[in-house]
Amino acid sequence: MKNLSGLPLLTVLVGVLAGLTVPARAQELNVPHSVIAGEGASVSSHGNGKATFYLVGPGVSQKREISLGDEIRIAPTDLEHAGRYLAILCAGDCRSAEFSVIAAEPSTVAFLVHPSRVPVHQADAISGVALLFDHFSNLVLTSTPVNFVVKSPKENLFSKPITTQNGEAWFRTSSGKAAGPVTLTASADRLSAQRVVQQVASEPCNLRIKAAETPHGIEVQTEPVRDCAGNPVSDGTIISFTGADSAGRISIDAPIKGGIARARMAVPEPVVISAASGVTIGNELRIGKKP
Amino acid sequence: MSGYIHSLHSMRLVICLALIFVIPLAAFPDEPGVAVHLDISKAGPRKVETETERRIAADYRLAWDNLAQALASGTSAPLDALFVGPAREWLQQSVSSQQRSGLSTRYSNQRHQVRAIFYSPEGDVIELQDTAEYQTQIMDGQKQIHDERRTHNFVVLMTPAADRWVIRQLFEVPQL
Repeated sequence: MKNLSGLPLLTVLVGVLAGLTVPARAQELNVPHSVIAGEGASVSSHGNGKATFYLVGPGVSQKREISLGDEIRIAPTDLEHAGRYLAILCAGDCRSAEFSVIAAEPSTVAFLVHPSRVPVHQADAISGVALLFDHFSNLVLTSTPVNFVVKSPKENLFSKPITTQNGEAWFRTSSGKAAGPVTLTASADRLSAQRVVQQVASEPCNLRIKAAETPHGIEVQTEPVRDCAGNPVSDGTIISFTGADSAGRISIDAPIKGGIARARMAVPEPVVISAASGVTIGNELRIGKKP
Repeated sequence: MSGYIHSLHSMRLVICLALIFVIPLAAFPDEPGVAVHLDISKAGPRKVETETERRIAADYRLAWDNLAQALASGTSAPLDALFVGPAREWLQQSVSSQQRSGLSTRYSNQRHQVRAIFYSPEGDVIELQDTAEYQTQIMDGQKQIHDERRTHNFVVLMTPAADRWVIRQLFEVPQL
């Protein structure tokens, strides 16, 4: 302190400043601007002596002792998740630098399709969304063309390349004319994902019924129930039979089984029997009183 | 006279500081830890219903609260409710990795400006862009090794679960 007081003020100031700046330069960190997910990286530092190096990012929080001036290797397994990474170097005080890890090439197509069953002839009834992910499940944000194809054994319903925006591409299309499976494919370069949607008949069309008298009442049944395109309506679809006489009404719901719905009505004659399904109403049968 | 001018300057300074600090807080009332503002005006092709918007904003806010808790305390239990898939995986790894290295991370004063940019036709996935501002402190034991307050840009995929929206993808990008 005694010697120091004898030094000119400027010399002291320069000395102090130099003392402050040398360690800072010694801890300078050089990091890559960005790294592809799953690829390794190296960070360089300057100076001499020991320091503590930290790597903090998605899925990683590392701490290790290093020698300043040596190259710091970061393993590929530490850089698998896309995002921002911080490299921190501490030797007395701490300095940091950041870099980004971005998704690698797409390796998976996630293909979301709706619905699983769709009636024929429905406008914009089928939709699909494709999302591209790399080997480490990172969403790939790079614009990539995805080719969507929707086809049934009898017709091509939709085919269009759509480029991903923000990692996703989507389409919507109408269902076809014929009942049966429809195959939907989303492909991007060598990658492909396939889904199947079952097209089923639409609402029943032209319901026709017939009746027969039995000892237990009137047995009524439909003719094979079809939609307006001629597709057999799915088994399980409910047909409502209604019998109306002077005393009131009786209604029976019966599911289609083997393409035909049946019901037995114990109603006094005369009676008027009709059938309906959804908004479709069938013919009326008038059964008169026996003489 | 100079005293009067000085007090005028002081008053201006106080007003400026009040505008800087009070107005942002007023924009996010009742949310001291994590504030989320969700803009759905650009979402499509499906329209985001009001109740869905409310639910997504609430779950996203809670998710960040849980994320901050997990990384500050070094326990993964807070991640259970609102993170799934890849997002859950890397957060779990972060917690485990922090436990091994003795590090912890504190996020505070979070302000998230979130925009919905894609809502799938059948409502089974929503993509968000989040411009977030918060303070990050990284601790090695009791020693602070990093402290910053800055803006971060996140891309987020959320999907509906039984009674909530969960985060499936959450990653930071240099710019949106």
